[in-house]
Order: sequence, then C-alpha cells, then structure tokens
Amino acid sequence: MNDGVALGELLSLPFMQRALLGGLLTGALGGLLGSFAVLRQLSFFSDALGHSALLGITLGILLGLNPTLVLIPFAVLFALVVSRLVERSQLPTDALLNIVYSSSLASAVVALSFVRSYKGGIQQLLFGDILGISWLDLGLIVVLLFTAVGYLGLTRRDQILLTLDEPLALSRGVAVPLHRLLFIVLLAVVVAISIKAVGVLLISAFVVIPACASRLVSVQFNGYVALAAGLGAICAVLGLLLSGSFNLPSGPCVVLMQLVGFLLALALAPRQRLA
Amino acid sequence: MAEMVLEVSDLTVRREGVRVVESVSFDLAAESDTALVGPNGAGKSTLVQAILGILPHHSGQVRVLGRPLGPKGQLPGSVRAQLAYLPQSFTVRNRCPLTVADFVGLGWDPPGLQLPWRGSERRRQAVRQALVKTGCSDLADRLISELSGGQTKRVLLAFCVVRPRRLLVLDEAQAGLDSQAAEQFYGLLFDLRRSEGWTILQVSHDLEMVRRTCDGVLCLNRSLRCSGPPDHALSPAQLERVYGRGYVPYHHHHR
Repeated sequence: MNDGVALGELLSLPFMQRALLGGLLTGALGGLLGSFAVLRQLSFFSDALGHSALLGITLGILLGLNPTLVLIPFAVLFALVVSRLVERSQLPTDALLNIVYSSSLASAVVALSFVRSYKGGIQQLLFGDILGISWLDLGLIVVLLFTAVGYLGLTRRDQILLTLDEPLALSRGVAVPLHRLLFIVLLAVVVAISIKAVGVLLISAFVVIPACASRLVSVQFNGYVALAAGLGAICAVLGLLLSGSFNLPSGPCVVLMQLVGFLLALALAPRQRLA
Repeated sequence: MAEMVLEVSDLTVRREGVRVVESVSFDLAAESDTALVGPNGAGKSTLVQAILGILPHHSGQVRVLGRPLGPKGQLPGSVRAQLAYLPQSFTVRNRCPLTVADFVGLGWDPPGLQLPWRGSERRRQAVRQALVKTGCSDLADRLISELSGGQTKRVLLAFCVVRPRRLLVLDEAQAGLDSQAAEQFYGLLFDLRRSEGWTILQVSHDLEMVRRTCDGVLCLNRSLRCSGPPDHALSPAQLERVYGRGYVPYHHHHR
C-alpha cells in the first residue's frame, strides 16, 4: 500500500474530512480545558467522567435514543453530583472517584449485556471511532469551542487567580463557586463530545497529556494555554490520519501521538522543570 | 475623630457547626497597624477570613469602609478593590506557569468579565511601579512557582500595592521565613504602610515583632480576651489570660 496515495484518498473522503475537522476542534478543546484542569488537579476527575460516560451511552442505547444527546446531560449531571460528593465527603478524592468510576463502568458493562446488538460496537465505544463523528457532533463541537474560548477568555484573570489560590481569589471578589461549577460543566460536555473520537478508556489523556507537555516547556500562562490547545489539535489530526491510513482504532492513535508530543516536550524542557 | 476602616461588632463564625469565633467586636482606625494574636486553634485565621468574606459569618456585623459585608461575603466591587489579603500559605498549585509580572497584574484587575486586552498599558505601568516599590523588578520575568519564600512574600506585597488599597490583612506573613527574611519583609511592610496609607490587620505569632511594629493588639482565644496598645495587651498577666497559665513567650532573635 502506497501511503502517499492512501493519504490523498483518505483526505478526499467526506467522513474523513469530517473526522479530521472534528478531531482538530475537539483536540483543541481538550487541550484548552486540560490546561486549567491539570493545574486544578482535575485529571482524575476527567478520567472518572470518561469511564462513567459508558453508562450514559448504554442508557441511550437501552432507551433507543441518540447516545450523544443522552450523553451530554448525563455527563453534566454526573459531574455535578460527583463534585458535590467530593466536596461533602470525608473520603480522599482519588478513592471516592475510583469507587464512582469503577461502579459506573461495571453497571454499564452489565447493562450492555442486555443489548442484543449495537451497531457501533463495544470496541468503538472503548477506543473511539472516526466514523462515528456526525454533522450533529461537528455542530456541537463548534458551539462548544466558541463557548469555551469566550468564557475562559472573558474570565481569564479570574480563572488564573482561582487556579492559583482559592482564598486569594475569594478575597478579590472572584465568584469562585460559580466559576468552579461552570468549569466542571464545560469539562463534562467536552468529555462527552470527545468520546466518539477517543473512546471512554482514553478520554482523560485527551485532556491531560497536551496540557502536561505544554507545561514542561511554557514560561508564560497565555503561551501555556495556547500551546496545550495547539498540541491537542495537532496530535488529534495526526492520530486520526494514522488511524485512517492503517485502519487502527482512532483513540489509541491520537493518544500515541500525544505521547510523542509529551516525550518531545520532556526532551526540550529545561532540566530544573523536571526536578 | 479618626475614620474607621473596619468595624466588627458581635461577630460569630461557625465551622462545621462549631463556634470557632464568638462575639468578637473591635474597630480599626485608618492607617493603624493592629496585630491579632492568640494560641494555635484560637480562631485567628477564621476571623480574618470571615472579615474578608472568604468564610460566611453566622451572626454579627462587619463594616468595611462603612459598607456592610453580606453574610456570604458580599461587598460592593469598589470597596472590595480597596482590600488586600496575604494568605498564610501561598503555594502555587502544580507549578502554574505564571510570571511574577503577570501575577502582580492580577491584583490590578477588578474581577468579572473583561476583554483580555482591556487596560493592558495602564496595567503594565502599574505592575512596573509595584515591582519597583517592593524591590522585585529583577523578578518580573521569573515564574512565581520558582521563587523562594522571602521572594514570594515580597511579590505578594507587590500584588497588594499594584492598586491603591485602604485595608491590608495579613495571615501569619512571617510563616516560612527565616529571621533575616522576616526582618526584611517587615521593613518593607512598614515603609509601604507609611507611603501607601494602609490600615493593617495582621495575624502573628511573633510577639516581639508585634511589640516593635504594631500600634494595637487584639488577643483572641475564640472570643476576644483583651485588646489595647502592645505594652498593655502583651503584659505577662494578659498573655496568661490568652494563652493559659505558665505561658512563656518565644522570642525570635531579629538582627
């Protein structure tokens, strides 16, 4: 197989164009939100959200509804309930999230066993499928990207202060509980929308790896956020091309590209940043 | 009669159902420097956080520059802008990639929706001046997460001085500093207080420093046990009332 020709053919396919555009935008979204989520120690939260999304998808299938449309409200509700639980509970956050995500994953797998056939297939749910990105998904992603850029851009200074130190932000009059809530909701929707391309098992990498890579080489906050979003977008496109060229699952291909980006950042990072 | 910058009357604060601060009343006159002292667990940090609206208060009233603080910490933006706070521990989470200049600029901006480029030249100028006033000009491009404890405290002062303030609240500002760094910090604070006309309320365990630099002392152990000028409030008899019988004050050896 000649890869150049195969690549040209791939790019001429409408579903591939749709997938690449979707990947570019969701990759940028994942990097954008990830840059704040990582600093706010929400990496594991996005992982739990991703795993629990399988339960939302299963509910959609059982109810005979479009899984994407069920998944978004499910993810938002789940995120709100879990963040409330984390705030109120005396248990360590990582332990609590572990309980939540493993039990929702187990419930989803049991529920899926009652589904006779699902045209998407469990493999696609777990590891992502570029064919799964529809025009509806693309439209939602564009709206979400504008919303996220608008919200984070207009409240940038409040967001940074809140990320740095909550009491300091409160003393300055920043609406900390409101911003925390809105960010969690936004993160939940991004995770829900990105799942088609990356799959439930690897979705947290979409949020975490570009941000960590960017953090290693950034010396300024705006540059850090922009680089995380850019890396997320580039790695998603390269991963989807790799996936399309060799008929591999899209999620792992994107994550492998992100890993390459992370290793490059690790090699380029000043030594004192690694200590 | 001196203007009152802060008026606290009959303030009670609960945490998880327990009364941590009970019926505290005091006033701070403009440009005074008052220390809040007391044993660990006395409610000092809780009290200052309630005054700033970081924690809700259960009952009583707080007035800042004549305006009442809401039970959930609500204050008009114009009043809030004149408050500054130095937290007890300021550790930059996960090495946030923020330069000192960018951080100080955050102290200049009012909270809320804002176009990212709005006021950028005025902010830059204010940041430059704040860094000069606090001797931090050489740190402007350094990452805030890579500073020493003493440098971080000076940068926090630059964060406070970047905009005119009336009331500065410090929660154990000397924590984590060696005696030399603490001495430099208090020297800078003293100079800024004079030049900026700040009213200061500071939580401190360093009674020697309090005796030397403050005009007034509030002794707290859940409720206010005594108050007044340092010579009176820090007398052995009064300290025993606050810290308990047999209390021996620890003296830092400042040069």
